Amino acid sequence: MDPRLVEVTQIFGRFKASLLRNDFVTSSNLLSQLKVLLTKFPSLPPSFQRTANAYEELQIAREIYEHAVLLSVKTEDQDAFERDFFQLKPFYADLKGLIPLSPQEYPILGLNLLRLLVQNRIAEFHTELELLSSDALENPCIKHAVELEQSFMEGAYNRVLSARQTVPHETYVYFMDLLAKTVRDEIAGCSEKAYDYLSIADAKTVLMFSSDQDLSNYVTEEHPEWEIKNGCVFFQKAKDSQPCKEIPSLHLINQTLSYARELERIV
Amino acid sequence: MTQEVEMKEAQAPPSNSFSSASTPSTLQHLKEIASLIETGAYAKEVRRIVRAVRLTIMLRRKLKAATALAFINFALVQGSEAHAKLSAYLPKEDEHDMDVDTASSASQGFAKHALPEIEIYCYLLVLIFLIDQKRYDEAKACSSASIARLKNINRRTVDVLASRLYFYYSYSHELTNSLDEIRGNLLALHRMATLRRDELGQETLLNLLLRNYLHYNLYDQAEKLRSKAPRFEAHSNQQFCRYLFYLGKIRTIQLEYTDAKESLLQAARKAPVAARGFRIQCNKWAVIVRLLLGEIPERTVFMQKGMQKALTPYFELTNAVRIGDLELFKTVAEKFSSTFSSDRTNNLIVRLRHNVIRTGLRNISISYSRISLSDVAKKLRLDSSNPVADAESIVAKAIRDGAIDATIDHASRWMLSKETGDIYSTNEPQIAFHSRIAFCLNMHNEAVKALRFPPNSHKEKESAEKRRERQQQEQELAKHIAEDDDDDF
Repeated sequence: MDPRLVEVTQIFGRFKASLLRNDFVTSSNLLSQLKVLLTKFPSLPPSFQRTANAYEELQIAREIYEHAVLLSVKTEDQDAFERDFFQLKPFYADLKGLIPLSPQEYPILGLNLLRLLVQNRIAEFHTELELLSSDALENPCIKHAVELEQSFMEGAYNRVLSARQTVPHETYVYFMDLLAKTVRDEIAGCSEKAYDYLSIADAKTVLMFSSDQDLSNYVTEEHPEWEIKNGCVFFQKAKDSQPCKEIPSLHLINQTLSYARELERIV
Repeated sequence: MTQEVEMKEAQAPPSNSFSSASTPSTLQHLKEIASLIETGAYAKEVRRIVRAVRLTIMLRRKLKAATALAFINFALVQGSEAHAKLSAYLPKEDEHDMDVDTASSASQGFAKHALPEIEIYCYLLVLIFLIDQKRYDEAKACSSASIARLKNINRRTVDVLASRLYFYYSYSHELTNSLDEIRGNLLALHRMATLRRDELGQETLLNLLLRNYLHYNLYDQAEKLRSKAPRFEAHSNQQFCRYLFYLGKIRTIQLEYTDAKESLLQAARKAPVAARGFRIQCNKWAVIVRLLLGEIPERTVFMQKGMQKALTPYFELTNAVRIGDLELFKTVAEKFSSTFSSDRTNNLIVRLRHNVIRTGLRNISISYSRISLSDVAKKLRLDSSNPVADAESIVAKAIRDGAIDATIDHASRWMLSKETGDIYSTNEPQIAFHSRIAFCLNMHNEAVKALRFPPNSHKEKESAEKRRERQQQEQELAKHIAEDDDDDF
C-alpha cells in the first residue's frame, strides 16, 4: 500500500475520533494537515489522473471532505461550510461512475440547500436544485429542504417552524435554528402591513416570544417605529396614495411641451 | 434539443425519391460550389463562402454516397491523408461507376492545389452526409478528425466553414449522447476563435457550450461562461436566437423572470417560421415564465399554427393558474408530469403552486369584503394540520407583497378587504399615460438611430459588368434566404 495513503488513513482515524469527542481545536488542526496531504494525490480533482490507487484515494478524500463539512456545521462556521462543500462537490458531480454513491451525499446536499435558504440565496438554491435527479428529489433529506422553500415562498411560516421537529438528520438543527430567526423577521414584516394592531399576547404567539420582555426588546431593536400602548402593539402604516386635490399644472405643462418637441422632430 | 431532430426527420423522406438522373447534376452543383469556394479563397471574400455553405445545405437532400465519393475524388488529391480518411466513410457502389468515371475525367481540369478551404469543405460535406444517413458513430469520428485538422489552419476564409463544422461536431456528439466528452475541446476552440478574432466561430461555440452545459443542467457554469465571454453584434440570426433562448432559460432558473421573459419572447419572435420545434420550446418556457410573473398568457399564444398539440399541457396549466384552483393545478401537474419532466420544466411547475394560491386569494379578496380565515383556507383548499394559521400567514404575506389590499383582524380571525378607491382620482393614470408616450417616442428615436445605409453609396464607379454580377448574386441570395432558414435550424 502506498505510504502516503497509510499516513492519511491514520490521521483521518485520529480526526474522526476527535470529532466524535467534539474536540474541535484538534479536529481543525488535523483537518488542515489532511488537506495538505490530499494535495499530493494525483487522482483527485482537478487532475483526475487514473493511477493505481485512484479508487482508494478518491474514496478517502471524499470521506475527509464530508467530515470537514460536518465539522463546519458543528463549529457553526458558514464560510468554512461553503468552502468545504465546493471542494466536495466535484466528487459528487463528476465521479458518478468511478466510486460508489456515498451514503452521506444526499444529507450533505440537503444541508447545502438549507444553507442557501437561510442565507436567502434563492437563485443559487434553484440552480443547485436543477442538478438533482428525480431520485434525489425523493430523498427525505432533499425533500425536506425543497418543501421548506415552498412553504417559505407561500408564507406558510408555521409549517417552516414545525419542520424543525421533523429534521431528517441531526446536523440540520443548526440551520433550522438560523431559519427560525429569518422567519421571525419575515413575520414581523408581514404583520406590520397586514394588521392595524395586535394585542401583546397575540403578538407574542405570532412572533414566537416567550416573555413580554423579549417582545419589547425585539421591538425597540428591530422596529423602533412600532408603538406599545394599552396592552397592544400598534403598527405604523405608510399612507396609501392620496387622491389628488389639485392638478400638478407645472408638471403637466412640462410634459406637454416635451411631447410637442418630440412630435416636431418626427414631422 | 428536439427541434433539430424533428426537422431532420421531416426532411429525410425526399432523399429517396430522387432518381439517379439527378445525380450527375448534383455532382455538377458540387463542382460549382467548389469553384465558388476557390474563388472566394483566392479573392479573400468570405461572402462567397457563405454562399457556398448555403448552396450545400440545399443540396443535402439529394446527396448520395456515390456523389459524395465522386466529389471527393474530384476535389482532393488522391492518396492524400484527408482523401484516405474521408473516402473510408463512403461505400463504393458498383451501379454508380459511371458517375465516378465522369468525375475522374473531369478532375483533370480542376487545379489540384489542395486548398485548405476545399479540404474542410469536403469534411463538412461528408459529415452532413453521415448525419443524414444516421451513421452517428462514424459522424462522430469524422467530426473529431475534422476538428483536429481545423486547429492547424488559421485562415479567415475557413471561419465560415469551421463554424458549421463546430455545430455538426457538437450535434453528432449530442446524438450519441456523449456531449460531456467534448466540453474541454469546445472551450479550447472557443479560446482559439477568440484569439483569432473569429466572431462567427465565437458566437457558434458559445452557443454550443451553453447548450452543452444546459444539457447537464449546469446552469451555474453556463451563466459564468456567458457573463464573461466577449459579446459583440450578432453575425447570424440563428445563433442569436439560440443565444437568447439559452439566456432565457438561465435567467428563469435564477428567478430573473422579467429578463427571462424578454429573452424568450424575443427568441420566439426572431426564429424563422420553419423552425417549429425551436419556437415551441421558446413558447413553453415563455408561458411558464409569464405565469410565474403573475401574468396570464393570451389564448392566441396556444393557438399558433402547428403548436396547439404541443402546447396543450401548458394551456391546461395556465387555466388552472388563472382560476386559482389548487386541486385542478395538482391534477394537471400529475396528468402531464411525463411531458413536463421531458421538457425539464418540472421544478418550475413546482414553483407555480405559490402563484396559484395568490390568484385564488386575489379572487377571494375581490369577491368578499369580509371573510373568515377558516373560509379562506377552505376555499384555497389548503391541506395542512393547521389550515387557519397557514391561511393567516399566507394572507399576511400576500398583503405585504402587494398582491391584495386588505387587513387582518387577528382577534376575530377575519380578512377585511379594503374598498378599491377610485384610481382616477389620483395621479396614477397620468403617470401611466406619460410612461407610455415616453416609450413610444423613445422607440421612434431608437428606430431612427438604427437605420442603416449601404456602406458604399458611390456605386457609380462600379463597372456595368460588375454590377450585373452583383445583382445576379443578390437575387440568388434573396431566393435562398427563405430556404436557408429552413435548413439551418
